[in-house]
Amino acid sequence: MSKKTISLQQSHGVDRRRVLQGSAALTAAGWMGGLASGFLLSPKWAHADGPIKMGIATDITGPIAPGGNANWQVAQYAVEQINAGGGILGRPIELYLEDTASDPKIAVGNVRKLIQERKVDVVLGGITSAMRQAIKDPIVNRGRTLYIYPQLYEGQECTKYLFCTGPTPAQQCDELIPRLIKTLGKKRFAMPSANYVWPQLLNKYARKVIEANGGEVVFEEYYPLDQVEYSATVGKIRDGKIDCVFNTVIPPGLQPFCKQLYESGFQKNGGILSCVYFDENLLNYVPAQEMEGLYTCLDYFQALDDPFDKELQAGYAKKFPNTTFPFTAGSAATGMYRGVKFYEAAVKATGGKLAREEVAAAMDTGKLENGPGGPAEMVPGKMHCKMNMYVAVCRVEGAKTKYEVISKAPMVDPKEC
Amino acid sequence: MEADIKLAFDILAFISVMVLIVLGLGVIASMMGIFNFAHGEFVLLGAYTLYLFQARALPLWLGIVTAPLVLALVGWVLERAVIRRFYANPIMAMLGTFAIGLIIREIIRGLLGGHYKAIPEPVSGVLSVAGLDFSVWRTVIICTTIVVMLASWMFLARTSTGLRIRGALENPMLARACGISTARLYALTFAFGSALAGLAGALIVPLYGLSADIGIRFLVQAFLSVMLGGVGTFEGPVLGASIVGGMAAGLPWVVSPVLADPLVFIIALAIVKLWPQGLIAKGSI
Repeated sequence: MSKKTISLQQSHGVDRRRVLQGSAALTAAGWMGGLASGFLLSPKWAHADGPIKMGIATDITGPIAPGGNANWQVAQYAVEQINAGGGILGRPIELYLEDTASDPKIAVGNVRKLIQERKVDVVLGGITSAMRQAIKDPIVNRGRTLYIYPQLYEGQECTKYLFCTGPTPAQQCDELIPRLIKTLGKKRFAMPSANYVWPQLLNKYARKVIEANGGEVVFEEYYPLDQVEYSATVGKIRDGKIDCVFNTVIPPGLQPFCKQLYESGFQKNGGILSCVYFDENLLNYVPAQEMEGLYTCLDYFQALDDPFDKELQAGYAKKFPNTTFPFTAGSAATGMYRGVKFYEAAVKATGGKLAREEVAAAMDTGKLENGPGGPAEMVPGKMHCKMNMYVAVCRVEGAKTKYEVISKAPMVDPKEC
Repeated sequence: MEADIKLAFDILAFISVMVLIVLGLGVIASMMGIFNFAHGEFVLLGAYTLYLFQARALPLWLGIVTAPLVLALVGWVLERAVIRRFYANPIMAMLGTFAIGLIIREIIRGLLGGHYKAIPEPVSGVLSVAGLDFSVWRTVIICTTIVVMLASWMFLARTSTGLRIRGALENPMLARACGISTARLYALTFAFGSALAGLAGALIVPLYGLSADIGIRFLVQAFLSVMLGGVGTFEGPVLGASIVGGMAAGLPWVVSPVLADPLVFIIALAIVKLWPQGLIAKGSI
């Protein structure tokens, strides 16, 4: 806490970025002060060999907190399920949480704590790419520990001992874009984007798919993350006779952009807005009418109608009644669940051995019968997994939004590494 | 042509938003010599007031009327409790108000759980004029800004309270010798500036969505506007806000949006270099 107070004092009236960092530090210090020294969730029973130690490093505080808290809850839920079923080969899992506070600088220290003090066997977590980049070295190289990254992301992460359990650009674009072009007949694309790594790399891949399917990218443009005025963008969309907006603008720029786009009559005139990070939670960030007809492609939707997903939703809702952090694909909840389960399966396959080499070798050919959205399967040697992908469109009923799943692509290849 | 009119409307709407936000900041800076770094959070509190009305299913119009009243109260209390201790030292005032802002912002962030909230406009939809669609709410904002601007000017320039406020600023000792309670007037001015921030917050939040950082996004540009226009006048900050707002909305047409952001600052700083006192150094009030 004292460390955070100091960084706060230094940030007085310097510039916007420093001010924001200060605010994140204060959030960390004030609201979740108790978490500064980590958090432990012990199993109810013991085993002669001791528990298997699982570390969660995620953003409990700061701007990414909604996603981080969902992650932490999902981890608790999945681990509790495993422990209730007798643990992994009789050994319970002990869960350790460290707050990465939406700030890579704070994160590195806290992650080191997980590895050096807690001596965890595996670390799961990180949401933004900046966070993954910051903590992967302390975990994988210096920490010699297995790392599982759960979020949908821009791809190109091919570090040994780092497994990615969320969707890649190929998984999100290969189904969605051909549908937009071939089935819906949209040809002229605009790519308004927030200026950071995920949109840059996702767009690069999406552009290839668009052009390969006979579409055209009329403009691709990057904005400061907190830009609030988009009249020029909306004007270009109008002038360019765009019929499909492939959006990667993120909050807080997202809301004013969606509003100005909607007010310009883009959707009314037949235009389609598509956005691949948009899950059920994000729909609440924007007024319902502006979301009508939005196309997205994710590995899981709450609207899915198979018994496993129904049970998952019900179980999660029972453990966290009235939670403001729902189980949705965009906040890495699905990747987190998969990650925990992949690890469980890998340790079972090694016969209970926890050495990184052996667990990683077992993970490499890991298979999950059931998971959110269906089965998942690691592509050997690629550290990414195949999973079902769903294209969904947002419908509005009585000022409430919901997704209608319109197609399912089974076991899509991540095409990474 | 059609596109030009729409663009002009959008730019005008954004200028109005900037003017609304800068007005309260400018009044406090010009009349009291205090740079209120908590201004962004006063805007946030105004927005949050509207959110509370929405969450309780109360009429949103009432929320928009209530927000400035709530903020006037907050401003009054803060001035009496904290701000008045800073008058002797403007640097301390900046740091102090910054701290107040930080506290407000993080409390609200905690209350919102870090989430964003969509808040509907009290009147939504479009206004069709000569075959062109204009957002009703942006039109409301433009009109309100003009009315508020004129009313504020009338209040400060034409009423006896306004005269006393200006007198107390010009020469506090003489004002006190004339039997004017400067302490009360300062509190009143601060409350008035805060109320303007509250109104701005409630009016703009349907456009941007509620998040704890809604105020801070405008704060830096708002300060730039005050610097650009000139401290010590009423018209200066308004003119400054118009220029900064117009550039922020218009420049992305000509240059890449990532460049437009710093360019606004470069142009504004160049102007400040040429006119160090601001564009309007001596105003009519």
